[in-house]
Formats: sequence, C-alpha cells, structure tokens
Amino acid sequence: MEGKMLRRQFLKMLGAGVVSAWGFPGMAGAQSSALLSKPIPSSGESLPVIGMGTWRTFNVGNDPELLAARTQVLKTFFASGGGLVDSSPMYGSAADTLGFALKKLGIPKTLFSAEKVWSPAGGTTREQVASLAERWGLKTFDLVQVHNLDDWQEHLSVLRELKASGVIRYLGITTSHGRRHNEFEQVMASTEIDFAQMTYNITHREVESRLLPLAEEKGIAVIANRPYDGGSLIKGLKRREKVPAWAAEECGCRTWADFLLKFIVSHPALNCAIPATTRVEHMNENMAAGTAPLPDAKAREKMVAYIESL
Amino acid sequence: MSEWNSYQIQDFVPFSADVYFRMLERMGETFWPLQLFTLAVGVVALLLALRGKPRIALLLLAPVWVFVGVAFFAQRYASLNWIGQVLSWVWIAQAALLVLLAATGRGTADRLEFLSASTITGVLISLIGLLMFPLLAPVLGATWTQAEVFGLHPDPTAVVSLGIFMIALRGWAQWLTCLVPLLWITLSALTLQVLEAPWWLALFAVVAAAVGNLIRQSRAMLSGPKS
Repeated sequence: MEGKMLRRQFLKMLGAGVVSAWGFPGMAGAQSSALLSKPIPSSGESLPVIGMGTWRTFNVGNDPELLAARTQVLKTFFASGGGLVDSSPMYGSAADTLGFALKKLGIPKTLFSAEKVWSPAGGTTREQVASLAERWGLKTFDLVQVHNLDDWQEHLSVLRELKASGVIRYLGITTSHGRRHNEFEQVMASTEIDFAQMTYNITHREVESRLLPLAEEKGIAVIANRPYDGGSLIKGLKRREKVPAWAAEECGCRTWADFLLKFIVSHPALNCAIPATTRVEHMNENMAAGTAPLPDAKAREKMVAYIESL
Repeated sequence: MSEWNSYQIQDFVPFSADVYFRMLERMGETFWPLQLFTLAVGVVALLLALRGKPRIALLLLAPVWVFVGVAFFAQRYASLNWIGQVLSWVWIAQAALLVLLAATGRGTADRLEFLSASTITGVLISLIGLLMFPLLAPVLGATWTQAEVFGLHPDPTAVVSLGIFMIALRGWAQWLTCLVPLLWITLSALTLQVLEAPWWLALFAVVAAAVGNLIRQSRAMLSGPKS
C-alpha cells in the first residue's frame, strides 16, 4: 500500500510539473508559461491546476452586454489552457451564461465541465443533470457533484448509474465554508467518489488536518473552492500590501493571485483551485498563477507565517 | 464549527454589483418614459394621503405593487435569484391587501394631524423614495432613463409606500401593510451593503425611522385615546 502511495504521489507530481519546479530548479524556467496540471487519481487523466468558478460572477440573467463580457472571460480562460469550469443549479443563470458563451466560442477540447445536483433529490437527479446539460449546451458532463452533501445518498446512487452508462465521467461531493466536515469525511472514507470539493485557502486551512490526507489516501481528486475567501482576501491584500519580494524570488509570486493560488495548488493533495471573476485582467492573473514554479513545503510555511503576521 | 455561524450575508447574494445595477438600469431603459407617469402617481398618492383621502391613496398604490411584483421580481430578479418568484407573489399579495383596506376603509386614518410625528416621518420617508433614488442616477454617472424610480423599481416603491402607510393608516392595518416594505428594504439594504453601494445606510435609516414611529404610535394608542 505504501509503495503504491509513493508511486501515485510521484506520478501526481510528475503530471503537475512539480518535479521540475521543486526538484529540478533549472527546468522550471523552461515550463514557466505552461499551465501546470495534475492527474485525477481515479483515472490518471490530466487536469489543469487552475479552474474557474461561477458563483456570483456568471449569474447575469439575459443581459446581452454582460453575456458578451462573460464570454470574453471564458475565452481568456480557455486561451490560457484552462479546463475545469464549475457551476451549480444554485448559481441562478450561471448555467445559461455558460451555454451562451460555449455556443459563441465553440466547445474547446480542454473543457472539463463540472456541475452539481442539489436538494431536494426526490428522484430528480437524472432530471437535474439533463436539464443542466441542456442549459450548458452539452450532451454529458465530465463531473457531477452533490452540492453541500444535500441528499447525498440518493444523489450518489443515481450518479453512479449515470457514470456507468457514460452520461457523466466522474462523480463527487462538495462542501464549503468548513461546513459538515465530519459527515464529509465519513462519505469520503466510506464511499467511492472521484472528486471532493471543499474550501481551502491560506486563511482557511482546516482541511489540511483530516480531509486532504484522507483524499490522498483514498485517491480522491480535490477541488479547492473560495480560494480568495469570496474575494475579500485578495481585495484586502491588494488594498493594503505589496507582494513580498522573497515570494517572487522563491516561488515566482508577482501578484497576490500568484501568492494565494500557488499556495493552494502546491498542496500535494490538491488538484485544482477554482477562482471566480468577472474581469478578463483578473482571469489573466489567475491563469498565470498556475505556472511553475510552485512553492515547496518550506516556502508554504513562510507564506502562511507572512499572512498570519499581517 | 457550527454550520449557521459559517454563513455570511454575502452567501445569500448570488450576483455581483455590475449585474444587479445593470438590471436596474435596463428596467428603466425598457419602460422609459413610463417612470414619469409612475413618479406622478407616487406624488399624487402622497398628496391624497395628506389631504385625508387614504383609501384612494392605497388604491393608487395597489397596481404599482402588482407591476413591480411581475415586471421586476418575476420577469427579471428571479433570473438572478430563486427567491424572486416568491417575492413576486408577496408583492402581489401586498397589492391585494391594499385593495382590501381601500375597499373597506378599515385601519385608515380618520383625521390627519399635519404636525404629528407620524405625518412628518411619513412625508420625509416618501420624499426620500421619490427624490433620492432618481437623483442617484446623475451622481453615479447614469442617465435619467436608467434612474431608480417609484413604480418601476422595488426600493423607491417600497420606501414611498412605507411613508404613505405612516400617514394613511393606523393600528394593526399600519403594522400589517408596513411589514412587506420593511422586510424588502432591510433585504435590499443588506444586498447593497454586500455590493458595496453606500446608500444602503439610507435604507437602514428609513427602516429605523419607520419602526421607531410604529412603536411610538402603538405605545400612544395603548396609553391613551389619542394617537
């Protein structure tokens, strides 16, 4: 088991380009502009480390001006090599906005579509997935997750059938804001899932103690939501502080987006962070953070100490 | 961590500032120049309440509440927030309540004291709704067609109506009719706070003034025959 774990971790790091960034500094520069990726443990498929969330940002209703603006944001995401786009039926018109943008842009090969099902399940799981796929303009989803563990037993049971029949490729569960971690842990430990989405950022690291080690042990890919703590973290830092010079030298952090996102995706258990934005320039910043080099364990400790000192 | 402690106000606002304010602007652009008419309706309703004709004032407000319930909440806000459909029905129910009170005359103010605290509070609140919201447009660099106006947008509609209820109604009817506008104004103030729009403070001030007046009136009614 231990040997298998080490191999898997090594492969994961290799897939991420982390080997070149951590172990072979000379190679880091050669890959500096390429978006890093990590393999999904259950399949080995590679997934770029920076994804895109849509909470608040893609809920624009039917406003043509705003639909066009979000299309540009998504275009920038894909142009930078982005893959995972995460949404939820709770996000208002976000699924329709994604459908609009994907129709305009065409569906890129790199798209990794991630949706959610929510309560009440009541036999509606298939219906929810079908309805959301129609709104995105897709036939299938890559990943469907159970939103905030709502009715997770019923949903997961149906999602397993959908995965077996090829309607979806992966299934998972989500939580946020540190909610229901005990139950979340039990589901991760007792149920076969591909993905677990949870809140993880430099000021909210509760998941480091149990959930992230469990994800590594069980071979579950982890998506980090709220990487900027709902935006307040990066806004506050941008307003008050400059990125410390040592962060640029040691791990290529030129912006606060670099600092916050590189911290997240450099955790060995993390596959992908999903910042959300309404602006093209912020999307460019986010995507730049997914390139080498990434901080090593020592630099990560220094980053935490620095943020805690502010 | 307790699950409820982990929630913040922003977790209940599923849209960003640019989206919400653009929706308000588009509402104005779509119906222009209807807002000139609805604004006039608001002024007339206030004047009727001040001239001791509360039942006609309430009757004028009812269709305005239906319009905002349908055109704003059901047809626009609901696309951003699932609660929009619920709010639409709540606004229509409020309109029905106004028609009922207008038809029966129950709870309406029998006689008006121009210099009473209720009348002064009501007039001031109504003027905030009639004037402050439209005037925000030039301050924020928007055009007049994009301004928030009574009869089209929920904030000025709720604020003006609240002011008129202070003048035109008494007792249980006043509490009952003030409930929906007070709840909406509070919800809107919290939303605006999350969206970092500074006039959320004015909305909280309106709520504080209205609730203060309702409590004062209730105490006066309980302690003596004169309100």
